[in-house]
Amino acid sequence: MNIRILMPLLLSINILGGCVTSRVDEMVFNEPQIGIGEDTAVILGRRHGSDYATEPDFVQCVGSHIMRKDPTITIIPESYFLDNLYPWFEPRTAPLEPENLQRFAQERVLLQKLESLDLAYMIWIDGSTKNTGSDGSLSCSLHGCFGFATWGNEANYEATIWDFTALAEVGKVNTESSGQTYMPSIFIPLPIHAPVKGAACDGIGDQLLEFLSGKF
Amino acid sequence: MALLSVCRNLIPYLVVLTSLFLSSCGSKQVVVQGEFPTPLTEKINQTVGVYYEAEFKSHEIFDEAKSRGQSDWHIKTGEAQIKLWDMIFSGVFSETLTLSERPSRESPAKTVSMVIIPHIEELQYAIPSHTQVKVYEIWMRYRFELVNVLGEPLGDWEMTAYGKTPQNLVMGIEGGQSKEDAINLAAIMALRDAGAHFVTTFRRTEPVSLWLEGLTSQESDSEENTFSQPKSNEVSQ
Repeated sequence: MNIRILMPLLLSINILGGCVTSRVDEMVFNEPQIGIGEDTAVILGRRHGSDYATEPDFVQCVGSHIMRKDPTITIIPESYFLDNLYPWFEPRTAPLEPENLQRFAQERVLLQKLESLDLAYMIWIDGSTKNTGSDGSLSCSLHGCFGFATWGNEANYEATIWDFTALAEVGKVNTESSGQTYMPSIFIPLPIHAPVKGAACDGIGDQLLEFLSGKF
Repeated sequence: MALLSVCRNLIPYLVVLTSLFLSSCGSKQVVVQGEFPTPLTEKINQTVGVYYEAEFKSHEIFDEAKSRGQSDWHIKTGEAQIKLWDMIFSGVFSETLTLSERPSRESPAKTVSMVIIPHIEELQYAIPSHTQVKVYEIWMRYRFELVNVLGEPLGDWEMTAYGKTPQNLVMGIEGGQSKEDAINLAAIMALRDAGAHFVTTFRRTEPVSLWLEGLTSQESDSEENTFSQPKSNEVSQ
């Protein structure tokens, strides 16, 4: 195929992208009026469910989204937090309610470490992105790939905000996104990707930013 | 001549296709590798001996394929087990000594207050082709044996650990890793869980709590002896 025809086609496919529908619900109280200031926050994924686990890359995406839009906010990276406070936030040991944090009072070294982090908010993200079904057929041979395939993705995440100093829940943000990815193929597959996970990350990140930042 | 040229051009494709076919149905070997953090906990001020049996140090399981479409799985966890438990024991006791032989009356362990001997009683794994669920799982059952410096039993207890890797975690857009990587990650999660389970519960297990009680009463006895020393001195005079 002529490159002069192929390149604009590929570019237009990338620009178009797949369609994504997104919805964000928010319920917060005791929002800090001037943001979290010098304090820090940590975003952690819930991983105690039997058939799913919140993806670390989604947790990282939300943290990066917040820090990119307001560089004054410090979000402690999840892997750093989990390794430095091991084994107290593993799927088996992580507190499920803010009141459960009180049991950490018996662990002196753990308390000292938590104090050194200046932690103001602990945000738990629970959910995952799932494939909701696929259709079509695509066959590949030495001469290339031909056919048409499509599949749906659905992202459902809920962020629960804990005030670490008051040991209380101060808000919940829920996001639901869905979209359909299409992949027509004439010689080479041309995926029209629906960025479902990215839309969910932006949606939840924007809502958390309103809570944590004094600028938004 | 033309046919020969076509055949030559096809050789790389045939090699790729053959290797893909072989890799999908052949034997899969995983040598579990990963890093483990030091546990953040109050240390017990005791020097403890740790003895790893040869079976523990080279722990592995081999599971033969049940049907033509499946693969054999050979999972080696020994190296990672030692790495984890060295980290855990050194994190919960002020000092640990790795013993080269099991303590006995003939060769008692020196300079330690007791010896801990971990065993892996069982390891099970599950992959999506077994369960039809897009999750890779590892489940382990440990038994910890507590013996005194002469090798006499002080008690033992069992403990389970579990780790899973959802397929979308490793097969996602940015992932693209293999099934071996997914099993490795599930094993690392299971080992982390084992460490977490141990650190948060071992003080409450019967043999350890009895041993700790014994240490406390020994300390209080020695304090009493210190106070009574002047008295005995008087008697001797």
